[in-house]
Amino acid sequence: MASAIEIDRLAFAWQGDQLTLDIPQWTVEAGETVLLRGPSGSGKSTLLSLLAGINVAQQGTVQLLDQSLSDLSGRKRDKFRADHIGYIFQQFNLLPYLSALDNVLLATQFSPKRRQRVAASGHSAEHLAVEYLQRLGLTSTQLHQTAVHLSVGQQQRVAAARALLGAPELLIADEPTSALDSDRRDDFIKLLLELSEQNNTTVLFVTHDASLGQYFNRHVELSDINRASGGLAHA
Amino acid sequence: MLKLAIKSLANRKTSALLTVIAIAVSVALLLAVERVKEQVQANFANTVSGTDLIVGPRSGDVQLLLASVFHIGALNNSMSWRSYEELSQNRQVKWSVPISLGDSVSGMPVVATTVGYFQHFKYANQQSLQLLEGDWFKRTEQAVLGADAAEKLGYAVGDQLIIAHGTGGISFSEHSGHPIDIVGILKRTGTPVDQSVYVDLETLEGIHGGESEHEAHDEHHDEHADHHHPTDAISAALVGLKSRQMALFMQRDINTAAGEPLTALMPGQTLQQLWKTLRVFEQALNGISAIVVVIGLLGMLTILLASLRERSREMAVLRAVGAGPGTLFTLLVTEAVLLTIVATASGLTLLYILQISLSGIIQQQTGLLFALQWPTVADWWRMLFVVIAGFLMSLVPAWRAYRQSLADGLTVKV
Repeated sequence: MASAIEIDRLAFAWQGDQLTLDIPQWTVEAGETVLLRGPSGSGKSTLLSLLAGINVAQQGTVQLLDQSLSDLSGRKRDKFRADHIGYIFQQFNLLPYLSALDNVLLATQFSPKRRQRVAASGHSAEHLAVEYLQRLGLTSTQLHQTAVHLSVGQQQRVAAARALLGAPELLIADEPTSALDSDRRDDFIKLLLELSEQNNTTVLFVTHDASLGQYFNRHVELSDINRASGGLAHA
Repeated sequence: MLKLAIKSLANRKTSALLTVIAIAVSVALLLAVERVKEQVQANFANTVSGTDLIVGPRSGDVQLLLASVFHIGALNNSMSWRSYEELSQNRQVKWSVPISLGDSVSGMPVVATTVGYFQHFKYANQQSLQLLEGDWFKRTEQAVLGADAAEKLGYAVGDQLIIAHGTGGISFSEHSGHPIDIVGILKRTGTPVDQSVYVDLETLEGIHGGESEHEAHDEHHDEHADHHHPTDAISAALVGLKSRQMALFMQRDINTAAGEPLTALMPGQTLQQLWKTLRVFEQALNGISAIVVVIGLLGMLTILLASLRERSREMAVLRAVGAGPGTLFTLLVTEAVLLTIVATASGLTLLYILQISLSGIIQQQTGLLFALQWPTVADWWRMLFVVIAGFLMSLVPAWRAYRQSLADGLTVKV
């Protein structure tokens, strides 16, 4: 597997407006950890929605793990995402009524591929989930607390553990640290990268905060790869 | 999936609980209506038992039954005492009891009969009449009251009553010269017996004495020891046969006999005939319970649809972790079916609780006895119908969620 992400002559516009994204060529190699930085409204979220297969590019191709997303049907893209991409959302997207542990286990519940990888590790999904959560700093009582009762920092750890469970090839994190103070943010990123490395997971970390660059293999400014100037409509 | 549905429901306790209550109440009502119907029918069929034939003047079966057993309506003709005597001496007849109707006490029908009535009249499952207090009448000018009659008229043993001619509530010809002593009050039966005032045939004759022309018939003889017949015409006779199998032949014989035109009916058969005429009542009850269930289910539909909006985030999260639109569809349907199953079970429980706690009062008020019983096959079908209806209804919000999640994709609206 040569590259985790490969973008070729990508063009995307929201509803026929001016182009939000115009990326001639961009590649992330497998195993890389990349920080993608751009100010609000620079098209970060749009790019992520294309990478996650939520939207489809009007022109050009987006290949993840050598699979062109535009070749897949909507349902297959859903499956592909669940199987291969760990996604940490800006709002974490936890189910408030499930416990921290159950939220993490959701990752394997809908993805047979992730279940297989968990099984291949020789541990149960629950065992791994507990391990991740504990390494990310949740106490055993917090494991069984419902998500609504967790602090923002704890919710973020749960979201990270969920994204990592079942060792997806690619981890995409969308501004997961925006709600944290700088000390805890740095701790979190270190842990996240450590766990990713263990799983051999490629990491694409998207943020507006340039100070995090030191932790990653590569620091990319979106404005360097994106030729479109506008794109303020849908940040 | 089931676990997820349960936890999601638990997260929305209040609305889920309200839905369950709404459906449970309608299920309880649906089943209760059915039981009331069955019990009314059973009680109806129980009004008379052990009597093989009722014989009266020529009239319609239903008319004769209504008059002789339910004391509703009147018979245009009467049956002569001579015919009654002939009947009672028939070889097939084991016992016979004459009854004479047409008078009342403040609207309560007076049944003039013999003491034999209390021995032979049976209701429900061959149950005999029993006294609550006092004794049977032993001579003329004495009366035994049904439970309701005693209660409504406010009489107790030892009081006196005045019989009025005619069956209306207000009569202009009261037999005020003939006060009658109340000697006994019957236990409640849940049949028209409760409404009646029982006196001896001769009492009535004494009251009516001089008004009728019977004095000219002294030459008639009967089996009474004094060879005096108590009256010359009666309204009907209850007949018990030596062998029940003979009822059909006897009925035909009487109906086709050459003498006085008479009608004989078999109570069970005619009761059924009568019940059939009450179909409308049955259908109305069914209609009402169906409407109640529909309202309960519509309530569930409303709540499910309303909850979709607040759950759009939940749906998006599930989609984000890999649940396809089909999974969300299944989730919502599972949830609704779960709700209806729980609600249906609660409805059944509610019914039993109500039945246990209220059966005493109901029996006292209406005489209807609601026996505790396992749900009948029909009950199970009804409950299954509710669950299936719940499932079908849940397809609406589930389909909407499916469409919505396809359209919204992973866009999470906070």
